[in-house]
Amino acid sequence: MSRLWRLAAAALAFLALLAFAQEDDPYKEAEKQKRQLLEQSGVLPSDLFVEQGERLFKTKRGPKQASLEACDFGRGPGKLEGVVGRLPRYFFDTRRVEDLDSRIRTCMIQLQGFKPEEIRRSDVVAIAFYLASLSNERPVTVTPLMPQERALYALGEKLFYLRAGPRDMSCATCHVTYVGRRAGVLPYSDLLNDKRVASHWPAYRYSNDQAWTMADRIRACYSVLGMPAPDFYSEPIIALTLFLNAQARGGRMDLPGFIR
Amino acid sequence: MRHLYLLLFALLVSVSAQTSTPYITPELQRLIQSGGKSYSDTLLKQAADQALCSRYRNRLPPEVLGSFIEEQRKAIKYPADGRLMGDWKRGEAIYNTLARGNCFSCHVGSPLNIGGNVGPSLEKYGQRGTSEAIQRYTYEVIYNAWAYFPCTVMYRFGHNGLLKPEEIADVVAYLLDPASDFNTKPALRR
Repeated sequence: MSRLWRLAAAALAFLALLAFAQEDDPYKEAEKQKRQLLEQSGVLPSDLFVEQGERLFKTKRGPKQASLEACDFGRGPGKLEGVVGRLPRYFFDTRRVEDLDSRIRTCMIQLQGFKPEEIRRSDVVAIAFYLASLSNERPVTVTPLMPQERALYALGEKLFYLRAGPRDMSCATCHVTYVGRRAGVLPYSDLLNDKRVASHWPAYRYSNDQAWTMADRIRACYSVLGMPAPDFYSEPIIALTLFLNAQARGGRMDLPGFIR
Repeated sequence: MRHLYLLLFALLVSVSAQTSTPYITPELQRLIQSGGKSYSDTLLKQAADQALCSRYRNRLPPEVLGSFIEEQRKAIKYPADGRLMGDWKRGEAIYNTLARGNCFSCHVGSPLNIGGNVGPSLEKYGQRGTSEAIQRYTYEVIYNAWAYFPCTVMYRFGHNGLLKPEEIADVVAYLLDPASDFNTKPALRR
């Protein structure tokens, strides 16, 4: 009898462990967290960023008292659906390849008349979340075709493999060689083969309540590895984003992302 | 015989030309510079060995491997007193601190932190004994992992000045000393 009890207790303890254990698959774990958050509060933090972004986008602001509704994200002025999955791309008006963040910034300068130093990062992120909400479930179609895009893609690829700094780091040392292994909580994602990775930015990070775009992610990767991060809106960030988003071509955007 | 010398010379020239091609081209340099000063200061200081690992995407071809390992070995320095096993208690703090050794993040074995699986498990590493050979091997891998595993992800703690030789000897003691908690207490794992 006592043996049976012990067996039952062990089985119960095991079940409890299963119930409390974190999902091993980070995607399933994020789904679970998202569900729980929705049940608790009825609204996702990312939805609040989307709402704030929409207000910023449609309100007449800046020295020119204009909204951003005429901004061209590559499909023509004011055409916003699905644009996130098509960036970065070359723009004829600025003669540069721009990603989501830098294109928002460009429009805040050109349409609203802001000076670059007046642009608040948190505004750009919120607007990026609003645009992301209009690209959910759209395909990723980033394909470097223009010579400028092809050149920047090639540089982004070189940068991805570039090892430097006191810890000899590069993006590829973890995200190619050690895909699926862990140094910390999450396994390294497969940036070259898993199309889900690049297609969930901008994303809300439930582990530390942050709204991040791909630029924030890239900068965090550098900082964690003891290297100073490239400036926001700078070419290295756009080049890496172009390289990574092109790897996700054919994937479906999951936006705004909800991740650890 | 002269032909042989000429051939050897030509071979040497071609190999050195190949290995000295910089990874950072002028276009890449311009791109990096546009990322800001501190960013470009760090990236543009790329060392020749880092450039080789970048260029060959961490899989060095046989023709550069020999000289690469030789260079890495040559640069290894040892504690002034010659002792490769220091104080395991001090080593414990280094091994288990994120901003110092950060060893636990990649290796299983510590009784204080849950280990990762980027590197091989070091559980009960002390079973190897404390012979001069195993002390030296352990010390040298921590000082410069590239001397044994070219282009691996593990930081070159001594080579890049992240830890002093004496601190590396402390970590060696944490791994090898039979009295160390590393060898007497169970390792934490996920």
